[in-house]
Amino acid sequence: MSESDADEGADAQPADGSPAAGNGQVDASTSEAEVDDEQPEVTTDEGDEASAESRQSGFARLRTNLFVVATRELRTIARTPALLALSAAFTLSVVGVAWAGTGGGGGFVPLTLDLLTFVEVLVPLLAVAFGYRSILGDRQTGELDVLRTYDVRRLSYVGGVYLGRALALVGVVVATLFVVGLFVPFLTADIPTFLAINAAADSGVRYVRFVVLAAVFTLVVLAATIAISAAARTVRTAFALAAALALALVLGIDTALVAGLASGVLPESGLTALLSLSPNSAFRGLVLSTAVGVVGGAEVNAGNALLNTVGLLVWLVGSLAIAVWRVWPAVEEIES
Amino acid sequence: MSDDRPAALRSTGVEQSFGDVDVLSGVSLTVERGEVVALVGPNGSGKSTLLQILAGVSPPTDGSVTVPRRAGGARSVGYLPQQPAFREGFSARDTLEFYAELLDGVDDEDVAATLDRVGLGDVADRAVGSLSGGMTRLLGLGQAVLGDPAVLILDEPGSGLDPAMVERLFEVVGELAAEGTAVVVASHELPAVEAHAETVYVLDDGGFVASGSPAELLDETDAASLSEAFLRIVRAQAGESTVRAGIDEGQSAQEVSGGE
Repeated sequence: MSESDADEGADAQPADGSPAAGNGQVDASTSEAEVDDEQPEVTTDEGDEASAESRQSGFARLRTNLFVVATRELRTIARTPALLALSAAFTLSVVGVAWAGTGGGGGFVPLTLDLLTFVEVLVPLLAVAFGYRSILGDRQTGELDVLRTYDVRRLSYVGGVYLGRALALVGVVVATLFVVGLFVPFLTADIPTFLAINAAADSGVRYVRFVVLAAVFTLVVLAATIAISAAARTVRTAFALAAALALALVLGIDTALVAGLASGVLPESGLTALLSLSPNSAFRGLVLSTAVGVVGGAEVNAGNALLNTVGLLVWLVGSLAIAVWRVWPAVEEIES
Repeated sequence: MSDDRPAALRSTGVEQSFGDVDVLSGVSLTVERGEVVALVGPNGSGKSTLLQILAGVSPPTDGSVTVPRRAGGARSVGYLPQQPAFREGFSARDTLEFYAELLDGVDDEDVAATLDRVGLGDVADRAVGSLSGGMTRLLGLGQAVLGDPAVLILDEPGSGLDPAMVERLFEVVGELAAEGTAVVVASHELPAVEAHAETVYVLDDGGFVASGSPAELLDETDAASLSEAFLRIVRAQAGESTVRAGIDEGQSAQEVSGGE
């Protein structure tokens, strides 16, 4: 018999909410319980063809369910006044910061520098608001259990939640930064026209890079928040973890790195690689190296772009993998 | 009624424990196509835990559950949890349409028909948050029967419903069973269970302490109603537990006193 994890039950729960290892099984010629999103093999003369058909059908259903879940997430956000209000507050705040800074009249690069720190702080907070109850809410209402009777795979469900929330959140961030970016061409006295651009020249392309990187950063932080929502079993735990994540991203990781360097625990030679472990540092480094590039005639030393990119990717993929793993226990199927 | 309906739901030796708490011990249950099986038992006896295991949403600590997979990926199990709740901001219709989109061959017309069947046709466009507890439970029932599942698992579907709605609900259950659906329902509505269930399992102390048709249980306990039979069975079970505890204490006392 196979082992499986049981996270919780209706009549009694472990005090610490930890899963209890067990030997229960669900006969697979039978249950719609899922295993690794694979379809059972068909042992007939037309087995290969039938297997291919069932795999296509299975993939099509996986994709359909993902988009169905994503659509519901988008509709949920559109019907949640608190999230709409937070989005508006984010937009107004960013517009206000941009206006109070160079006012857009200094060019795209100064605008990027004005917004960089603000985006680093506000995006994690907004992502936490958008994501920390996304899966937990369904768990608390019991809809997560109900969804499992519909042959919805973990990948479909987590992917759909992430896709829906990501579209909304990235939409807010990108639209806001785009609106702010409009300040520059309308407020700058001389609209630059170049046939050739040197590294120190200000251009809209640099700002577009900043916006794209901000979108990527948003996706990474949201993924981490979704992982927390999938893993937490109570609102209190989810909120505490999400708040800790936001604090760690904005302050904690970088502060720890500085402290480690100052105390000699961390080698200075490894600083570049260590900075890539922090999503905020990785994002900042990529912005400085690709969207700012040159400040006051001196090239900005912003770490290793490749390492920073890999760092963000690891956070993104790792977080989503944790979310898929923790959302609900896999029940092993046994072919009869 | 489709011709490819699967065979029965079967659980074999199901056990469930949470930490040091043993909730279910060696529970075996078989439900045939078109059969209505009722689970009754005292509060905390493990009914909801067993139903979650049968529905496949909670793996047992030991034992197995068999639910036939239906051809073409049709829905195998419909499940109504003990306290159904749905996402705010959506209407009853929106909610069922979302679940319908997760199924093949279920369209908006089927959703409308389901809403009418469970008695929510007049409030289909009302927001979920504004539905009463009983209406929310009916919406949960509607969700459970979408896609014509082979097995329907209902956890206290009558809770919070007025007597007329309880009767209507069990009529719907009976109609589904007549169409071949195997139904497992946990309920405290013993008069309705007596009228509609073919087989009753009494769950107590983690296992079945009695089972049979309502008439058989009445005969075995010499009771006039299923409610009375249930009380006699549970009290007898409690009495045996008390006697066992007394014997154990007596033995302990003898050991302490040197076996006098």
